Amino acid sequence: MALTAPQLAPGLIPGLAPGLVPAHGVGSRGDLPLPFTALVIAAVAALVISFVAIGTLWREPRLRDTDGVLLPRPVAALLDSRSLRAVARALAAVLTVWTLVALVLGPDSARNPVPHVVYVWLWVGLAFSSMLLGPVWRVINPVRALHAGLLRLARVSPDLAALPYRWGLWPAALGLGTFTWVELVAENNTSLGFLQLLVGGFFAVSLLGSAVFGRTWFDHADPFEAWSRLLGLLSPLGRRHDGRWVLRTPLHGVNGLRGQRGLVPTVAVMLGGTAYDGFSANLSWSTFVQTSPVSSSLLKTATLLTFFGLVAVTIWLASVVSVRLSGEPFARSFTFVSDIAPSLIPIAGGYVVAHYWSLWVYQGQYAWRLLTDPLGTGADLLGTAGLVPNDALIQPTLVATIQAVSIVVGHLLGVLAAHERAITVLDRRAAVVGQVPLMVVMILYTLGGLTILFAP
Amino acid sequence: MRAFRALPYAVCVLALVVTGGCSSSSPDPGSSGAGGVVSTGSVKRLAVTITGTTVTPAPAQVDLPLGSTLELVVTSDHDDELHAHGFDVEEALKSGVPTTLRLTGKEPGSYEVETHEPALTLLTVAVR
Ligand SMILES: [Cu+2]
Repeated sequence: MALTAPQLAPGLIPGLAPGLVPAHGVGSRGDLPLPFTALVIAAVAALVISFVAIGTLWREPRLRDTDGVLLPRPVAALLDSRSLRAVARALAAVLTVWTLVALVLGPDSARNPVPHVVYVWLWVGLAFSSMLLGPVWRVINPVRALHAGLLRLARVSPDLAALPYRWGLWPAALGLGTFTWVELVAENNTSLGFLQLLVGGFFAVSLLGSAVFGRTWFDHADPFEAWSRLLGLLSPLGRRHDGRWVLRTPLHGVNGLRGQRGLVPTVAVMLGGTAYDGFSANLSWSTFVQTSPVSSSLLKTATLLTFFGLVAVTIWLASVVSVRLSGEPFARSFTFVSDIAPSLIPIAGGYVVAHYWSLWVYQGQYAWRLLTDPLGTGADLLGTAGLVPNDALIQPTLVATIQAVSIVVGHLLGVLAAHERAITVLDRRAAVVGQVPLMVVMILYTLGGLTILFAP
Repeated sequence: MRAFRALPYAVCVLALVVTGGCSSSSPDPGSSGAGGVVSTGSVKRLAVTITGTTVTPAPAQVDLPLGSTLELVVTSDHDDELHAHGFDVEEALKSGVPTTLRLTGKEPGSYEVETHEPALTLLTVAVR
């Protein structure tokens, strides 16, 4: 991740020790390129997985919503308890208020905690906690809570809505795309004025959307809820058909997602955005951008949109070939692409882990040093001013292993999920052939993802 | 139907060719043959010139073993800010005046050295 500089370079502000202050809001350290050996092993593993899968996998739909190992009753009761949820909501509310105070009253410098909260904790942290625990943002989303609180104050039904909602995930795709652009392209995206506009705009749109469409807005249109819900499908924690908590495979969560409006663009943004993030760290690319006569923002914006488009177009092309191979009409490709889009979520999850692991486990700790002093007055309210981030989790060999393994595991799960979906929705004789085009596309994504991690 | 049995194999071959092509066309990250780097003991030296938006030598990855030092001499044709990410080093650049940064690798990782006006990446330092 490369975030652009705040206008005030803190190293140049008198009175601040430059050695203690990173001059950028977030992400001054990047990962070393993936070693060649890791690239080769991971690429070969992905290829072997793919074609072994075609020949040997199950022929009848196999994943059922009755599957899973029941959690012990006390654990399930704890997960369902109102008090656990209330505590989580309260902590999220405190962090939100704390961050808003820093956003309004804090310094416009790298000592302000807001960029870390937004770009590391909210974006990357939410991805990791959702993959571990499920759709947690639904529970702790402070804007959802604010909306519910306002309705309660006004003594009206929590389901109050002026208009029916009918756009599926499209607004979420748009929101995620915008956030990705803000994070990866926008200039001065760690400056305070920019962040005030960003956060203020987000609150305004969310409150307006939920006022008009009711709380359905959060279920479908909210970008962070979509980010958390889709990546949360990969969590080993889930509910089976009767609502009881079980431990299950990530495939069960993914398989439970039905095709819906806007799912394809949402997945395309998730996958394309992460890929662009890695790609834009490439030195030849930055050299090209900075020497090009075209404005660099324009060039980056166009490239980011191309990455989104490439993902969407390639999976749609794969589904066109699939439906033709199985002898179905061309028009069927538009529903089929939505049917198979969920199987790209594990690949997106693998990309996220590979690209953001070290940012999360290292820069995520660093955020505590900034949060302890939200107003930039030298205060140490949390006692974490002297925290030195533990670097045990970002040792190069460990990082390279995590990157290669997460990409390959994402690929494996993607292939399995696509297989299950293909034998479920396609005619049985055509199913094996029908999933080949999608597998080809998955192989391209996986090899592309590995190459991006490998190129310096 | 039978023809498609061969498809996965064809894909594998294609993919191997693609990855092979990618790996041979990108610079080998194991060596630091980056232009202009001179090593003396545990100190590496590199001079970089900035003319407008052109960086000479062209931006490349410079390998720096943990504990070694990179002496970076930067000369620009305009006033600017020079910033070594992760080393927390920032210096004002005066037009035409060489500025020297001494960067010592402490934490493994890849770090960008850049200017701010305009935003240019000069090189990345790969500490390992
Ligand atoms: Cu900088």
